[in-house]
Amino acid sequence: MSSPNEQVRIQGRSNLPSVVDPISALDQAISRAPAAVAAVDSLDGLATLESSLLGKESPVGEVRRRMATLDPLDKPRVGSRLNEAAEIINQLLTARRAELEDEDEGRRLLEESIDVTLESVTFPTGSLHLIQQTIDEAVDIFVGLGYRVASGPEAELAWYNFDALNTPRTHPSRLESDTMYLDWGDPEDEVLLRTHTSPVQARWMERHEPPVYIVVPGRTYRTDTVDATHLPVFHQIEGLAVDTDIKFSDLKGTLLHFAREFFGPQSKVRMRPHFFPFTEPSAELDVSCFACDGGEPGCRVCGGSGWVELLGCGMVDPNVLEAVGYDPAQLTGFAFGVGVERLAMVRHGIDTVKHFIDNDVRFLEQF
Amino acid sequence: MLVPLLWLQEFIDLPTTDVGELSYALDMLGLTVESVETIRPEWSDVLVGKVLEIAPHPDADKIRICQVDTGSGPTQIICGAWNFEAGAMVPVAAPGAILSGELEIGRRDIRGVESNGMICSERELGLGDDHAGILVLDGDPEIGTPLGDHVELPDLVFDLDITPNRPDAMSIVGVARDLAAHFGIEHHVPEIQMSTVGGSTEIVVRVDDPVGCRRFTAREIRGVTVGPSPFNIRHRLHKIGIRSISNVVDVTNYVMFELGHPLHAFDADSIAGARLVVKRASEGETLLTLDDEERALTPEDLIIYDDEGPTSMSGTMGGARSEVSETTRRVLMEAASWDPPTIMYMSRRHDLRSEASTRFERGVDPNLADIANQRASAMVAALTGGEILDGAVDVIGTPTVPAVVDLRSSDVERLLGPGFTVDSVSAILTRLGMQVEGSEPMVVTVPTYRPDVTRPADLIEEVARIHGFDNFEATLPSGPSGGLTPEQQRQRILQSALTGAGLHQAVNLPFVGVEDLAHLRSELAESQLLTVKNPLRDEESKLRPTMLPGLLDAIRYNLSHGAGSVGLFEIGKVFFSVPDEDDPRLPAQPDRVAWAVVGDVGTETLGGAFIKADGAVSLALWFRLARSLGLRDIEIRSSSAPGFHPGRTAEVLLAGVPVGHVGELSPRTGRAFEIAGRVAVAELDLAPLLRQVSPVEAKTPSVFPFIEFDLSFLVDPSQNVSELLAAMRGAGGELIETERVFDEFVSPDLGEKKAVAIRYRLRANDRTLTNEDAGPIRTAMIEAAQKTGAVLRGA
Repeated sequence: MSSPNEQVRIQGRSNLPSVVDPISALDQAISRAPAAVAAVDSLDGLATLESSLLGKESPVGEVRRRMATLDPLDKPRVGSRLNEAAEIINQLLTARRAELEDEDEGRRLLEESIDVTLESVTFPTGSLHLIQQTIDEAVDIFVGLGYRVASGPEAELAWYNFDALNTPRTHPSRLESDTMYLDWGDPEDEVLLRTHTSPVQARWMERHEPPVYIVVPGRTYRTDTVDATHLPVFHQIEGLAVDTDIKFSDLKGTLLHFAREFFGPQSKVRMRPHFFPFTEPSAELDVSCFACDGGEPGCRVCGGSGWVELLGCGMVDPNVLEAVGYDPAQLTGFAFGVGVERLAMVRHGIDTVKHFIDNDVRFLEQF
Repeated sequence: MLVPLLWLQEFIDLPTTDVGELSYALDMLGLTVESVETIRPEWSDVLVGKVLEIAPHPDADKIRICQVDTGSGPTQIICGAWNFEAGAMVPVAAPGAILSGELEIGRRDIRGVESNGMICSERELGLGDDHAGILVLDGDPEIGTPLGDHVELPDLVFDLDITPNRPDAMSIVGVARDLAAHFGIEHHVPEIQMSTVGGSTEIVVRVDDPVGCRRFTAREIRGVTVGPSPFNIRHRLHKIGIRSISNVVDVTNYVMFELGHPLHAFDADSIAGARLVVKRASEGETLLTLDDEERALTPEDLIIYDDEGPTSMSGTMGGARSEVSETTRRVLMEAASWDPPTIMYMSRRHDLRSEASTRFERGVDPNLADIANQRASAMVAALTGGEILDGAVDVIGTPTVPAVVDLRSSDVERLLGPGFTVDSVSAILTRLGMQVEGSEPMVVTVPTYRPDVTRPADLIEEVARIHGFDNFEATLPSGPSGGLTPEQQRQRILQSALTGAGLHQAVNLPFVGVEDLAHLRSELAESQLLTVKNPLRDEESKLRPTMLPGLLDAIRYNLSHGAGSVGLFEIGKVFFSVPDEDDPRLPAQPDRVAWAVVGDVGTETLGGAFIKADGAVSLALWFRLARSLGLRDIEIRSSSAPGFHPGRTAEVLLAGVPVGHVGELSPRTGRAFEIAGRVAVAELDLAPLLRQVSPVEAKTPSVFPFIEFDLSFLVDPSQNVSELLAAMRGAGGELIETERVFDEFVSPDLGEKKAVAIRYRLRANDRTLTNEDAGPIRTAMIEAAQKTGAVLRGA
């Protein structure tokens, strides 16, 4: 490094006053630069400063111009100091420029602020019908348990809808007041709009060897006029497990698992004896109320009982297994059927089933 | 079924009267508690009084002055009722007493005579409907005791939902029997004390239909005096919502609720020819039933005739002609057991559901018939002063024998899990009234009041029920393995693609009317439509052959409720009256996906610069769907379809097979559905879209630079651009990386030609393309285009 005390020999045709020692001039430029750079507060100011520090008229520029006139012996020393000065000043300028650019951009970005509380651009967002969402969610719970998802015809033979499910010829559910019949096929093989998803049980078992673990979501039909709690067309999810060692406790455990996945891990279930032609024992399953801690008077969900009636279930009747050629001595099973609308209404506090078929986007897009 | 607790307790010593515990027990027995009503006295300070003397009112004809003793000497009360005489025990509301929870009784002056309280009627006390006279208490209640000591209050009334397989539980005694099994205690049945007098009824009963009538018992009671029932019977019937008629009729109802077997009382003198014949009716016959309805009978109706014709409807409702009345002196008590389906069909045919028919539909035990008859006859005799004739009628149509079922404990354990032994199983079954003999197998004789129990599975259900469903563990089966099929997974993708485009999924009822289809200008003949024989509404008797009517209705619904733009899609079945491919016994019912979109689509900004739904938007939706599903080998053709705009509709083919139409709704159809503006619509078969596609073979993106050039052509307006593009793609070969049509318009300045401008990007995988490479390709592409009739612009 050069020292300010060193003398430089000046040679020949310099037009600089010979009294100005180039090394001193450079040293002075270096020492003055930081304060000058720091004092600049705009990029424009910085450009002006740059030319006054490094431009032709600057002390550094003058030294550079005089280089050719220097004594060859001094040249390396002055040259090296010159480069040093230029570099130091450049670094100061660059650093300050970055600072000023940051500040400048910061100001500019603030100037282009948007109102973030306003959704001013909206990408289209559709929605799956709540029925579909409920089906998909419920089905996935059973898929997680290893079930397959089956489907079947909605216009169905009375044999699959009733006979294969151990429903006597004289059962009232076969009456036209309950079941819609179609003008199709021969009278001996009546075709109807299936009243439940259960016929798929028989269809699946006819075509598959045990074990059977299936859920069957789908549309079902009854001769009901539309009111707050009835639809002529609604949706069910049927479940069927048939294996060599299925017990009553498996039914309870499976539905407990479902209830906990669907309504929350705190859910409890209870089963009450009931009657269905195709299961024995048959039960109705209640799930503990998820809206109140149980038995809160006037609870909108459970009405204060602490329990919400959810679905029908039971152990597959041996006659059902026999009807499809399964051996009831070797196999046992359970089945359940849950109303999709019911699941959705219970969980979301929906007051009338009419919402499910109005297709009012204001209703649909909530979910 | 309504069950008053105090009536129930006549037959069972319940370990608890807590409403929660009892409800739980009933629920766990499968006798579901729908509700519980607590009935309390609606009065206070009403005492038993004895009417000492009655005098006329000096100033009024219709009221009398009574001296009544309520334990503190005679008190004067004015009373307007005439159904009692001196000596009657009556409820007296003294001054200060409260009636109906609010009405306070005071001292009053009635036409110049002081009245110190009130003698009350049943209705005033909330104990019944009777307001014709005051309540005269039966027996000999102690004077001055509170009325509450002499009425069955407070009481709980359980409303039970009895499942159709449990005829045995449709009675107070039946419920007591189940509760006894649940609690492991005894229950009782009514004690029948019937005394008879010599002689036989002259009424002859003939059963011509032994299937319809399983058993017919009849017993004659002579010398009856028809009048009101005693208060305790009236009050019990009142609690279960049955109106008191007369002592004879009330007994038939009382015993039906008590034992579960319906009864009917004939006025024996009104049975023409002293003969009853049970047979099916003939067309054209009518019967005036007790409810004053003239009913036209059908050949399926099972009717009881006398010599004048139909006189009673079996198991459903009696006839007016042989009704017991005030003048009846001879009663024929009928307890007959009827075929459940016969009654079920008949009661529905005549829209006549009675307490009797709901029991017979389930199956009433024929072996209970004579027990009920004896019980009812004995009560009638006791209440009416009549005498029962010794010789009764008992015609067995079809004998009913108990089922005998073999059961092994291993059968029970196989279904219910470990822990069931011969001892535990037979203990449960015995509690239900079954006889169990032997072990492995246990030979179980099932009482005939349980027609639902005929197989081991039925017995196992009973074991589970009494063991208590709550006492089973919760386990999961081991071993299943499953998952969604590729088709099911692809349906999820399809759903996401459509919702991602801003569409909402709709669910419509699949019923349509012929008129809706006419709006669509459907070419389907009515014979191809599937018809519901018993539709909810005659104007919607067809199953939809297309998804569009429902979607368009839903669009209109939303527009009429203020929506400016609506996009809906639906997935569901359509139906045709032709055999289904999978199961030819069924009508065809393929799944479809369809959409309908009106108004603005796409990204919304404050400025609202939108694309409007139209045929092009519908195609855009299709392409989005196709790309999401990875569909290949797609062909799009100009086409038309019923209800679609003839110039703005495409037929879509997958692997050469048509799958449906995508485009715009015909304005005429739009008007028919009251939708203004363009509607993007499509309807596609779902199955081909969901069919699994072969895995994509990956292409490595080129790292070399590309060459881009634009070509602009004039073509005939009727020519599809896709034809032009295909020709050039053929000539350009694999080096074409992308093609993008960036302009397309028809203008008179072009001589009614269509201008099309396309930007091509060429790129090679293995080298940098040069102009020497691109030039000949470009030339070849232009030549190929020209062969389709296109003219290069600016050439």
